[in-house]
Amino acid sequence: MTRRVVVTGLGIISPVGKNPSEFFDSLMVGRSGIRRLQTDFIDQLSIRIGAPVMDYSSSDYFSKIKLSGIERFSQFALIAAAQAVSDAQLELAEHERERAGVTMGTGMGGASSLEDGYVEIFQRENPRVKPLSVLLTMNNAAASHISINYQLQGPNVTYSTACSSSAIAIGEAYRQIRDGYADVMLAGGSEAMLTHGAMKAWEALRTLALEDEQDASASCKPFSKDRSGLVLGEGAAVLVLEDAERAVKRGARIYAEIVGYDSSSDASHITKPDAAGQTRAIGNALRSAGMQPQDIDHINAHGTATLVGDVQETLAIKQVFGEYAPHIPVSSTKSMHGHLMGATGAVEFMAALLALQHNAIPPTINLHQPDPECDLDYVPNQGRYNVELNAVMSNSFAFGGSNAVLIARRFSG
Amino acid sequence: MSTLQTIRRMMAEQFELDEGKLTPDAELESLGLDSLSVIEFMFNIEDEFNIKLPDDRVELKTVQDIANVVDRLVTEQQSTTV
Repeated sequence: MTRRVVVTGLGIISPVGKNPSEFFDSLMVGRSGIRRLQTDFIDQLSIRIGAPVMDYSSSDYFSKIKLSGIERFSQFALIAAAQAVSDAQLELAEHERERAGVTMGTGMGGASSLEDGYVEIFQRENPRVKPLSVLLTMNNAAASHISINYQLQGPNVTYSTACSSSAIAIGEAYRQIRDGYADVMLAGGSEAMLTHGAMKAWEALRTLALEDEQDASASCKPFSKDRSGLVLGEGAAVLVLEDAERAVKRGARIYAEIVGYDSSSDASHITKPDAAGQTRAIGNALRSAGMQPQDIDHINAHGTATLVGDVQETLAIKQVFGEYAPHIPVSSTKSMHGHLMGATGAVEFMAALLALQHNAIPPTINLHQPDPECDLDYVPNQGRYNVELNAVMSNSFAFGGSNAVLIARRFSG
Repeated sequence: MSTLQTIRRMMAEQFELDEGKLTPDAELESLGLDSLSVIEFMFNIEDEFNIKLPDDRVELKTVQDIANVVDRLVTEQQSTTV
């Protein structure tokens, strides 16, 4: 027996908004969260841009007692989860908690605590490592805090597959409910790695976008001929996934039904994205949804703005969608919120769900120089309103070759 | 300032607690501090009093317990340094 799975709550804290409506409003008007970073290590960086969560003060959300054990990436996760739970008006009776769980994605977990520990050990004369370092740093801290906070006693799993972590977290949560292992899942991702060490490591890999000389906020240029790479961002997004029958019964507001998901591996190269692997993920997701290419009305692309990545994704979309490919509006919202790594899949799937809800498609900004190898409709620079959307897809393709594709459809009982 | 007073001040500051509630016999748990917050607090205590907590675990239940441990360690450890 398989069950239908719906999304009933959304929560997000991101470089372009601290709740879903602020987030989607920013995307629609093309407001970028990318900027010159203001940090004390800025002079040590060659590439000085990022997409931070602005005007964030942890004490606005947490008491000091709580904060001592909760790292930045877990704080973001808890903030997004709180919004999602309240948005869903989710209340779990005691007996329901065993069938409610959490799946989260993250790339680096508590990156800043890890780094603080190393700085202490390697740079100080009499190093003293903070006693909670392990608990702050571990990748599953975010999911575990969510589980404790909401007393979710079912599955509690963290996926770490780089850029596809949280797409996989959502996909696997969907399967938990679909296949009857859980009735309610909180699923998403969280990342906070705008740290000195992580920034230097990314810099060394030479995949980061160069700062735009005129306008730092326009540095990420997916699918544009002058693209130069990705921009690191931070934040978290969490969704409430629910057994459709349960959601209908309690009269929950339903954003969409998750109807398709697939994960695949390129199995070819540790960084180089491969259209063949992506094609498998997109094609299988479509088949798992029982849909035809023309059933998809909008794709939120992985669209990192790396030279190779955007071409491979374009090829994969063409491979699966054939002659229908040029007719699908494909947006890379990373041009605005940056690449949130382990959180990015959840952030972008949420963008796709909000597009579906509002019948509006966010643009790919900074797309001013067409690339002959990127020849789809990327919704350049201007969002589209009053479109009719019935089903949306979100692509996530990771370093390591781990691909994940999610499909959601407007819910009809 | 006595050890107890310093500890109360530090505790009030680190955890945003009302100093008036931090009576000597106030139980840490009822103040909202779990074992991890206490560990975190003792880390800062080491700094403030320039002492090193022993590896064996000491049971700390009240604010006064912390003051007692600190006083004992200060005496022990200052007498061993030349």
